[in-house]
Amino acid sequence: MILVWLLAALALVPLISLPLTGRIGRRTGYPLGVVFLLIAAALVPTARDVVGGTPVTFSAPWVPSLGLELGLRLDGLSLVFIALALVIGALVFLYSPTYFQSGTQRGFYLIMSGFTFSMVAFVLSDDLVLMFLTWELTSLASFLLIARSGQAGEPASMRTMLMTFVGGLTLLAAVGLTIARTGTTDFSSAMASDVWQSDPAFTAVVAVLVAVAGFSKAAQFPFHIWLPDAMAASTPVSAYLHAAAVVKAGIYLLMRFTAIFHGVPIWTILLVGVGLFTTCLGAWFALQQTDLKKLMAYSTVSQLGLITATIGVGTEFAMAAAVIHTIAHAGFKSGLFMLMGIVDHQAGTRMIDRLPALRHAMPWTFAATAIGLASMAGIPPMLGFISKEKMFAAFLETPGPTFVPGLALGVAAFGAVLTFAYSGKILFGAFIDGDEPAPSVQEGSWLTIAPAALPIVIGLPLAFVVSVFEGPVLAAVRAVWPDYEGSVSFYLWHGVTVELVVTLGVFVAGTAIILRRARLRPIVEHPTFPKDGAAVLATVNRWLDRQGMRLVDLVRADYPSRHLGPMLVSLAVLIGVGSLGLWLVDEVAPLQSGLNRPVDLGILVIAVVGTLALCRTRSRIGGAVLLGGIGIAMTVQIFTLGAADVGLTQLLVEVLTVIVIMLVLRKLPLEFSDGIHPKNRRNAVIAVGAGVAAALASFTLIGRRERSAVADYYVENAPEVTGGDNIVNVILVEFRALDTFGELVVLGMAGIAIMAVLATIPRRFLDPRPDPSPESPATYVPPPVVELDAKGTRAYQALEDTRANTEALRLLQKPLVPVLIGISAVLFWRGHNAPGGGFIAALVAACAVAYVYMAKTADAPVSRPRTPVFLIAGGVLTALAAGFLGYTSGQFLEPLYGYLGPIGLYSSMLFDVGVYTAVLGLVMVAFNVLGTPSDEGQEPDSAAATDEEVARR
Amino acid sequence: MIIALTIGVLVAGGTYLLMHRSLIRIAFGVGVLSHAVNLFILTAGVPVYRDEPIGDEMTASIAADPLPQAFVLTAIVITLALTVFLLAMAVIGRNDNTHRIPETGEEHDR
Repeated sequence: MILVWLLAALALVPLISLPLTGRIGRRTGYPLGVVFLLIAAALVPTARDVVGGTPVTFSAPWVPSLGLELGLRLDGLSLVFIALALVIGALVFLYSPTYFQSGTQRGFYLIMSGFTFSMVAFVLSDDLVLMFLTWELTSLASFLLIARSGQAGEPASMRTMLMTFVGGLTLLAAVGLTIARTGTTDFSSAMASDVWQSDPAFTAVVAVLVAVAGFSKAAQFPFHIWLPDAMAASTPVSAYLHAAAVVKAGIYLLMRFTAIFHGVPIWTILLVGVGLFTTCLGAWFALQQTDLKKLMAYSTVSQLGLITATIGVGTEFAMAAAVIHTIAHAGFKSGLFMLMGIVDHQAGTRMIDRLPALRHAMPWTFAATAIGLASMAGIPPMLGFISKEKMFAAFLETPGPTFVPGLALGVAAFGAVLTFAYSGKILFGAFIDGDEPAPSVQEGSWLTIAPAALPIVIGLPLAFVVSVFEGPVLAAVRAVWPDYEGSVSFYLWHGVTVELVVTLGVFVAGTAIILRRARLRPIVEHPTFPKDGAAVLATVNRWLDRQGMRLVDLVRADYPSRHLGPMLVSLAVLIGVGSLGLWLVDEVAPLQSGLNRPVDLGILVIAVVGTLALCRTRSRIGGAVLLGGIGIAMTVQIFTLGAADVGLTQLLVEVLTVIVIMLVLRKLPLEFSDGIHPKNRRNAVIAVGAGVAAALASFTLIGRRERSAVADYYVENAPEVTGGDNIVNVILVEFRALDTFGELVVLGMAGIAIMAVLATIPRRFLDPRPDPSPESPATYVPPPVVELDAKGTRAYQALEDTRANTEALRLLQKPLVPVLIGISAVLFWRGHNAPGGGFIAALVAACAVAYVYMAKTADAPVSRPRTPVFLIAGGVLTALAAGFLGYTSGQFLEPLYGYLGPIGLYSSMLFDVGVYTAVLGLVMVAFNVLGTPSDEGQEPDSAAATDEEVARR
Repeated sequence: MIIALTIGVLVAGGTYLLMHRSLIRIAFGVGVLSHAVNLFILTAGVPVYRDEPIGDEMTASIAADPLPQAFVLTAIVITLALTVFLLAMAVIGRNDNTHRIPETGEEHDR
């Protein structure tokens, strides 16, 4: 249970950070830091038990239908990473308030504390799915923190996300494969499965996938490029995420899976090979940098490489070495990052060639940095010395041919020489070499130096009582090898050994390089490769973009015929050939008698004439009229099919559609243009083919059976079951209310989408005048010249004077609108028993809205800009509320009945209210957006903002 | 069956209009095509039965199938939403030619 409390407490921190930043601004870091320390302190008793050998576990059903458990497990390994996340997190939070000079940093504190939660949840998760989810959460937090650091951060954050999501995908694949093969999502039982022994090929595949995931997060070659890129983020982010936490999530993953992969050759080769390569590559790049922060980033890459390689060795001893170095590195590296932040702040630059000799101006920063660098370079008596010695010793255990251990140690030692050299470069470059600084350069405040120096300085006394680490590290090793009986021991002095000799060699070589720094620097400090990783990634990205566009060209949605042609043709072929096939195999039942009515023939004639004319007309207005005509014919057809509700709906929709079309046509040329290469003939062939296929299919499939059993059920039982006589309406709001709810959301979203799309387009692009000159004759049609009588005549007034020509409408408005609203109310009320209901009533009300719009003398919105949004949202929420009401008697949208005096009430009426408001909202959007000059009818401030944005770019 | 012919004509006209460049014509095509589909669904309830399915007024033996009617009713309103959406898109830019993407002031590449 303690684990749930831990996560709950951590989940609460982001929430309290919000009001806190409102109250005390960026000083929020202090209370948050204290909270983290308190949480860490509260965890100490549990931690004792865990170190003593009893892991704490928790499990609750999560998605029982999928067999998912919310499994948590705190063992030695998770404990180490939780301690790092909480303690380093607390220090970084304490450091942040003075580091940031302005702003409340609300987003920073929110995402940083959210990150701590996801990191702790990740290392606690004992369920593969939970593990993957929290892993992605840490990636997202890292992305957001980089992205919020201004212009430079945006592209860097995108690259970071791409890199880490590659790893996310391979982890997902690994998780999926593991679940599929072991049949459980529980991490511990999946690890215990015997699949790993019995199927080496499968094990190797998963091992590679997990290794790639770990590499992507822990910035191993070739994923190392994201880490220097991520330095665009602010110093606290770098110190926490990119030194101590997010990159260590990759390390944690590799350590966790060592339990099953430590004997797998490809795993060992990958981890040791890539790790050692990365350590040398990172150290070499670090040595080249003149930007202190970039240097630190490459140094982190290099150190992580060393840890990765040590994990790859795959023995208990190596694991202990990797864990202790993870601790040591998190301490000195986060401290160094924060100290470099102070240098940057106080001296105004972090470029080594511009930094003066700061040792006198900033003595405390100098001292703390020197200790931290000593730890990084592995100089005794620092913790970094002990951990590096351990790792050197571990490399001697590298499995493989006899030359391998020596080679691994040699390469690691080479990396260590470079590490020694760049550590010296930082110290001399920032504090010793250079001119005396200007008097204005002063030591930073105690409030920043203390939390920055603490993780470094603490390593010094800890190195003398290094045995305190033995228990936790042993517990961590036992988390991976539960049967490990040996012990873990750390000493400052353990006699003259191979690794000590190697270390001494490293010191000699490193010192030699530092002494010649003046001569070596110009040779080293230029890029080894003509392009850096970010540029390579950008090239790859551009190439992928181009290939993607080529694929997209095949089905481009902005070429409707190319896009729709193949689909329509295949559909026509499918239904046409399918129907013919039915005839050929003689599977077609005889037609029922009495299918046709005389009126059907009349409608067919109207449909043929109307459709032909609609296809041939070049006049847009003519088209609108013809479409309306076809619609009316369809309405009649629907009525004759006995569908009164549908017919009413169709009629009202037809009216509204024609009005909206007219609104739009005012802004477009009078005639259609076919452009330069009309393919009308080809289109006509396709169209006729589709029509023949559709007619054949209809003839083959329809009218050859009795009424269906479902229909019989509804006809016989619906009125009794629901108490409503209008069966269609009770199907809509009761039997299949979930369908209607979905439809309602679609309606609402269409309205919101229209507003959203049009609001993002600056005014000048939205509605420019039609092509102004005959220069583009393909699209330009001049307005017609109408011969009018003189001003003042009725003919003139009717066409040119809006006041005169809306007079009749305005006169009728007063009586008509209340009548329409009354009809709407009646239709709504009687919907349960007679034709009517929410849809129809809303459409009648919409007609009233349309009437009000048309009776105005000028184009003006019918409501405030926000009203339709409230209507749509209100409608969806009301319908949702009616749905939840259903839970009182069993399930979502279960209808309820009751009586208020003599009047019967239905919960479905509430649902119908939702339908009503949403439909009305949609129609209002149409009039507001399409019926007004484009600078009205939408949010003026949002349009202005987009204009500004464009100007800024 | 006469309605099958009506459906065929409407599908042909709708398809033809859909393949045009003018977004307004496409919107018209969507309208015509949706008429065809609605008729198809409605007649799936077998047009022998054409009495209105209203509890106290119908003759149960010849009442029309209410389920396709409910489907079509929602389909009609969704068609309205779709048509309005298409029409709103059509007013962006100088005309409604879909082969020319209107300028929107948006930068596509970074």
